[in-house]
Amino acid sequence: MKAKIDKGLRASLEAIEHSPRFYVWLSVLAAFILLAGYALVASLVLSMEILEFSLQIPWATMVSAYTWLVVVGSGLCIINALGGVFGMHRYEMMSKRIVFLSLTTIMFGLMFIMLHLGRPERVAIYNAISPNFRSAISWMGSLYNIYLVVVVVEFWLLIRSNLTEQAEQAEGWKRTILGLLALQDLSDSRLDGILEKLHLKRFLYHPRLHRILDDPRLPRVVASVAFITGVAALTMLGSVFAHAESRALWYGPYYPVYFLVSALFTGYAALLAATIITYRARGEEMPPELKTLMFEMAQVLALLLAVGFVLTSYRLVTGLFDPLRQGPTLFILKGPLSPSFWIFEVGLMSVVPGLLLVISARKKSVGGVLAGSLMVLVGAFVMRYLFVVGGQIYPNVFPRLSADLPIILPSYLPTIMEVFLIVGIFSGFLLAYTLGEKFLPLKEEGPEHA
Amino acid sequence: MNKTAKKISRRSVLKLLAGGSISAALGAPTIVFAQSRRYAKLADTFRCIGCKRCMSACQRWNGLEMDRYELITDRNTDLTANSWVVVNLRADSDNRTQRHYQHWACQHCERPACAGVCPVTAITKLPQGPVVINENKCIGCRYCYQACPFKIPRFDFEKRVTRKCHLCYNRTPLLNYMKPACVAACPVGALAFDYRHEIVKEAQRRVRRLKNPSYIMGLSEAGGTDMITILPAKPKNMGLVVAPKKVVNHTLDKIRISASGFAAASVIAGAMYQYSNTDQHRDKEKHEGED
Repeated sequence: MKAKIDKGLRASLEAIEHSPRFYVWLSVLAAFILLAGYALVASLVLSMEILEFSLQIPWATMVSAYTWLVVVGSGLCIINALGGVFGMHRYEMMSKRIVFLSLTTIMFGLMFIMLHLGRPERVAIYNAISPNFRSAISWMGSLYNIYLVVVVVEFWLLIRSNLTEQAEQAEGWKRTILGLLALQDLSDSRLDGILEKLHLKRFLYHPRLHRILDDPRLPRVVASVAFITGVAALTMLGSVFAHAESRALWYGPYYPVYFLVSALFTGYAALLAATIITYRARGEEMPPELKTLMFEMAQVLALLLAVGFVLTSYRLVTGLFDPLRQGPTLFILKGPLSPSFWIFEVGLMSVVPGLLLVISARKKSVGGVLAGSLMVLVGAFVMRYLFVVGGQIYPNVFPRLSADLPIILPSYLPTIMEVFLIVGIFSGFLLAYTLGEKFLPLKEEGPEHA
Repeated sequence: MNKTAKKISRRSVLKLLAGGSISAALGAPTIVFAQSRRYAKLADTFRCIGCKRCMSACQRWNGLEMDRYELITDRNTDLTANSWVVVNLRADSDNRTQRHYQHWACQHCERPACAGVCPVTAITKLPQGPVVINENKCIGCRYCYQACPFKIPRFDFEKRVTRKCHLCYNRTPLLNYMKPACVAACPVGALAFDYRHEIVKEAQRRVRRLKNPSYIMGLSEAGGTDMITILPAKPKNMGLVVAPKKVVNHTLDKIRISASGFAAASVIAGAMYQYSNTDQHRDKEKHEGED
């Protein structure tokens, strides 16, 4: 036993020595996840007030982070349709990475919203027993759950052939697990007998099921279902805000549309950033066809940023002439949140990265594309925060203690526990992506393999 | 059989069925409540003396954690998960010399926006009038607060659910002709409770007898509410939330808004199809080059 432990420890130390950067990265992420765990336990033991304390601004940074991450995931779902549904070969080679990123972003995004809820344990029960079909949240939750299931199936179909290859090369229990995951013949292992006893073998190895699974049209069908559910869920997410008639900044048919466009540009930015950072961290050179695609995607991203900027300008200009929206529009343009709007939403999210991406694509600079994408992601986070929190800060009532005193606005700043939880969930997402990148076959394949 | 009688055609039956199912899908309120059997509460700002017995009675009856300081201060107190009713000293912004104590609580809308957005149907409009949150069903998402035109529901950080005034539906249950705790506690008749049409009549009678200018809130705000308040000025001048004079969060409006997203999604799908054609052109050109 002792010898076994010694052997295991030595192997771990050797692995750490071999790639120290990787293990430092994992340790940092693990530390943040522990802090988030502490914040969560403290909120359960003490009060939920330590996470979100404001009565006037009940949807705060957690909801902003949820919106940001889930919209990124939905954008990736739309981008995946270019390869999976519309058959673009150069996007098809990135399918595995896109689908895996979409899966993890939406999964961790939903974690944000579950922890924001007061009673998350009741959601599954009552949304199933007594859903409210007039509520956008009910539709959004159901559609994202369906989307997650479909994306898991889509990802499994994409990596099934790789799992089969790995199972054939592996031995022992690894071979059994990989074989089971790829639904391969397990007659040489003990698991086969167990499946037989549980009457699962008849179902899992039914010839008709395998005929369907091997049908070359199936991935396209599944990708189409994922695209439809993903877009529908995203539209309902935009509607959650847009239906709130008593929130002047959110209300109206504009936001479901803007959510779709912003999903596309944040999705592109996330995909570019994740791919470039992954190749740099691995110290590998990108295949030439992938590099070409990166520059093409950078140009598409710049175009989408321009579309997003036009939409934002339209919203603000029309808002100035609409008596109902004039107040909130001026509040964003000139109010207390205006520096963040001009610096982050206009500068960092639209103008600077737009120009940078066009120049980088022309000069073939991968570093420039990475910087532009990261700017879009940071700017989009602030944009979501301004949208969610700013929409609630604009007062429904103008309370002032005296006519000559200024209006009292509800104030909000995230608590330290809230920050711990948010950083922890983001770390969880990064950890899931890192481990997925290490252990799953996400690497881009040339068009001939795809 | 009378030959002149109008025949019921198959088409008319189908039309009726289609119309019925569409109206059901649009979410016509599940409870069809008779107007004449619905109760309402009256709050008369001119009669209120600011004793705050309504607040303490509400807190006592509903087992809320009482903050005694709120009962003796004239400072502005906001609704919380444990104060479902508040009384504040307010002045008309146009005439700041006249100040009145004003009773503020859930307005119990006829077509409540909160019930329309609650994802798990934890909020219901009872046939007798009260809008009630089922605390055993609430998931604590706080969407009701965002949708409420008066910004009434408050999140309870201890119980992790949203809470608000339920017009003491559990006290009466409004059928035994018992009044809500706050109305029963009022010593000067500033609060009253009766069938809604009687309350509206009473409010109009009181306003007619007043020499001061006044405003009846609740007749058309948010499509009409089951709490009627007599104010010395318009709600905006009193520093209250101004609700639109129509049903808020109408289901048809929600469909219109979401449809814009689906229309945009179709446009995006079309653009993606066009973009994917560039790929096919490239492949074709490549193959032609190879040939």
